[in-house]
Amino acid sequence: MTKQPSMKSESISRPRYGCAIGALHSAVAIPKVVPILDCGPGCGDKQFVSLAFYNGYQGGGYGGGATPPSINTTEKEVVFGGNDRLRELIQGSLKVIEADLFVVTTGCVSDIVGDDVQSVVGEFQRRNDPVVYAETGGFRGNNFIGHELIVRSIVDQFLGDYDGEKEKGLVNVWTELPFHNTFWRGDLGEIKRILEGIGLKVNILFGHGSAGISEWRTIPKAQFNIVLHTWLGIRTAEHLQKKYGQPFIHVPVIPIGPIQTERFLTEVGEFAGLDKSKVRSFIDKENEAYYKYMEDFTDFFSEYWWGIPSRFAIVTDSAYALAITKYLVNQFGLIPVTAIATENPPDEYCERIREEFRSVDCDVSVDVQFIEDGHVVDQTIRSAPQPPAIIFGTTWDRDVAKDLGAGIVEVSFPASYEVVLSRSYVGYRGALSLLEKIFTVTISKSA
Amino acid sequence: MVKINLEATAVESREQRLGTVVYWGGDAKELVEQSGYSKCGKGKRGGEGCRLCEAKGPFTQGSVCSEQMVECQAGNVREAVLIQHSPIGCGVSQSFYNNIYRVGLASRNLPVENLKMSCTNLTEGDMVFGGLEKLRLTIEDVYERHKPKAIFIGTSCATGIIGDDVDSVTAEYTEKLGIPVIPLHCEGFRSKHWSTGFDATQHGILRQIVTKDPVKKQEDLVNVINLWGSDVFGPMFKNLNLRVNYVVDMATVDELAQMSEAAATVSFCNTLGSYLAEGLEQAFGVPQVRAPQPYGISGTDAWLRDLARLTHREELAEKFIASEHERIAPEVEELKRKLSGLQGFVSTGSAYAHGLITVLRELGITVNGSLVFHHDPIYDSEDPSQDSLAYLVENYGNVEDFTVSIRQPFQFYTLLQKHRPDFILIRHNGLAPVAARLGIPAAPLGDEHIAIGYQGLINMGNVILEIVKRKKFCVDLSKHVGTPYTKWWTDQKDPNILAKNPDIIWEGVK
Repeated sequence: MTKQPSMKSESISRPRYGCAIGALHSAVAIPKVVPILDCGPGCGDKQFVSLAFYNGYQGGGYGGGATPPSINTTEKEVVFGGNDRLRELIQGSLKVIEADLFVVTTGCVSDIVGDDVQSVVGEFQRRNDPVVYAETGGFRGNNFIGHELIVRSIVDQFLGDYDGEKEKGLVNVWTELPFHNTFWRGDLGEIKRILEGIGLKVNILFGHGSAGISEWRTIPKAQFNIVLHTWLGIRTAEHLQKKYGQPFIHVPVIPIGPIQTERFLTEVGEFAGLDKSKVRSFIDKENEAYYKYMEDFTDFFSEYWWGIPSRFAIVTDSAYALAITKYLVNQFGLIPVTAIATENPPDEYCERIREEFRSVDCDVSVDVQFIEDGHVVDQTIRSAPQPPAIIFGTTWDRDVAKDLGAGIVEVSFPASYEVVLSRSYVGYRGALSLLEKIFTVTISKSA
Repeated sequence: MVKINLEATAVESREQRLGTVVYWGGDAKELVEQSGYSKCGKGKRGGEGCRLCEAKGPFTQGSVCSEQMVECQAGNVREAVLIQHSPIGCGVSQSFYNNIYRVGLASRNLPVENLKMSCTNLTEGDMVFGGLEKLRLTIEDVYERHKPKAIFIGTSCATGIIGDDVDSVTAEYTEKLGIPVIPLHCEGFRSKHWSTGFDATQHGILRQIVTKDPVKKQEDLVNVINLWGSDVFGPMFKNLNLRVNYVVDMATVDELAQMSEAAATVSFCNTLGSYLAEGLEQAFGVPQVRAPQPYGISGTDAWLRDLARLTHREELAEKFIASEHERIAPEVEELKRKLSGLQGFVSTGSAYAHGLITVLRELGITVNGSLVFHHDPIYDSEDPSQDSLAYLVENYGNVEDFTVSIRQPFQFYTLLQKHRPDFILIRHNGLAPVAARLGIPAAPLGDEHIAIGYQGLINMGNVILEIVKRKKFCVDLSKHVGTPYTKWWTDQKDPNILAKNPDIIWEGVK
């Protein structure tokens, strides 16, 4: 937590992330994987209603929502320990819930009182029951941190070692944080589509485009890993590099629109050693489709009588903030007045993120700020030398948008005034949806 | 009568005070008898009746905690701030309670704004060295920012275990800032049912906000203990020349303080209002309505008459009752005709479910089953007139399949397969999606006031007529989307089989 000059404490109002156990949603995001919650009675519900409900109303799906087994800790487990209770709950889950894999996620109580979760889960693992565990007590960090703990627990405890052949052209993709990113389902679908378009076989790993555990089992076979995020997934990729000898390519900018997507696909294509002409021909085809829509859009963008606003503020996690900023600056000449990254990236990645924002385009440099507290976010947006006409943010930012007369585009948790099914904001097709959203919001303000 | 103890900073949990259970299976009549509340002359808290057997099995799904109820009450008080003394995970649900706060403000024509809550954001080091310094600085920050009239401090599992002395800090800052800084002890593990969180909030308000020895009394003011529901009581009370003082959600600190000046206290639900109403009566002399809850015609009649008695408005009440009976009769008859043959199922909080079932039955809808999230064998007043389940059973008949289950979707699945209702009424999340997968639509009662009073019958009838049409969506869904339960479980007929025979889970395991 970076303490802000205008506050004494490290407190957070209007949170824009959950705690480590919130990453139970990373388990839910894998088809037919169900979390088992070794935590208090409210921990799962809090994370669900926030990250998966009042955030685009994404829903619990197969094994999320109110479904996950939970020990619902009572005083008894606090005083006498929760091992026996966890053992019966895991066994009960195997009996009642149909799942390919169970992921035990621990909460504060279990982690503080020091339950021996490893040994309880170990009993089941020795019986070859599909159960892994991750220690995700809320004080350990946020749901971004929890996500990598859960991924690692599946890799180490379920996939295990592998020294067989690698499959050329097979890639593992580590990108947006499922559920936390309101649009992850659509985004992952588009990322998979464009990577397949250039000839790769894609383990997208989460969401409706994933085959679930059978796909996860092929992780060790992949030729390489793609980390498509400002930082999330780097630790996973480094671990896989060590464990399976897989190289990885890190692309910090999630591509939106043809310029960035072309850069991304070209870079990945080269890394994979793909046939350049095949990559080129996919890009050409996609560009052609995109620019047909741009031809149509040009009438609106160039001659809408009442003007199209330029100045925007963006407040979301660093990856989405960078992705959207790049697109709007590089392809439309919109003007960023404030950029705030809210997900508290580990210190070691912050300078790299700052640098990405400084060099958004050859003529545009943005000074990104890392802020988690909602009150300080609010003050920061209000104190911009020129007020933004559009705020890309969350439900929390509706009040400041109203006060400043700006349009609000909810792109990040919590997005409680968006209903999101398959909508994507990335790649070629997502870019068009993003434009539709932005300009529907801005012109709707006139009446 | 057990005295409400306002000396202690922590409220006694529901199970300690009322003998609350969260798992039980049987029929409603049996539960009334076993509770021994208005029956058998055992109606005393801590008495014989409070030893209900709990049917808890080895498999449980996620529930809800007391701290969340503190968020949804103390966190929704205007001009106050709630500090969550916890790691950030407890804070994440601010987004949820902000949504309902905003919707609630809009429905009451109040200025819409974000709620004011802060989480102390405890991390690993604080688990070792304690988090009180962070709490102090957070209090200073929120005071500086908002100049609130009161600051609530909600505790968490983590601070409960590491033993942070929150009481000393709240005392220190109450003195320093000259406003009430109120500890709310609501660790999730402390109580098996979340409604202890209501009590924790109300306890704190009774101790530190409600005006002691008020100089004036407002003889036309009635405290209405509720959540975010629309303004249903206001228009109703106008007929009795009474004004509403809605508490706790969206009330200002001053509105909470003036509760002791009111002529009476009512609630839409005994589960929610039990502690505060009794506390106001015992410690501040404000009488509570001791009558059935205001659901259905006879319940509303009795409730209004008791309110009229307390506020000396008997004549006005009789006039209003007569005119309302006349007003709604044709519409209710018409609704009964349209609703005839339907079967409903109610799955909400405890006392609220008792009220909703009476409404459904007055509309001629069959209700053979209900799943409630907990059961209080008795309420804080110990008054038999508030035994809402007994009132239901005696006046509207038994509910054959009455399950107490703390929001367990796997049990709900079994119950729905057995009853196959045409619709369900729900309030908390997690159950309606199960019903939808089985082809059964649900009416989510976000506005808890929709079923209240005479108009409530008409409202509910119309809601149900709309909802049953959504069967189309649910039936279509059920053809394509299944549930996550094993064949073994879906073959079970008894939702409580695991409690009765816990070893069954180990069958076939070497």
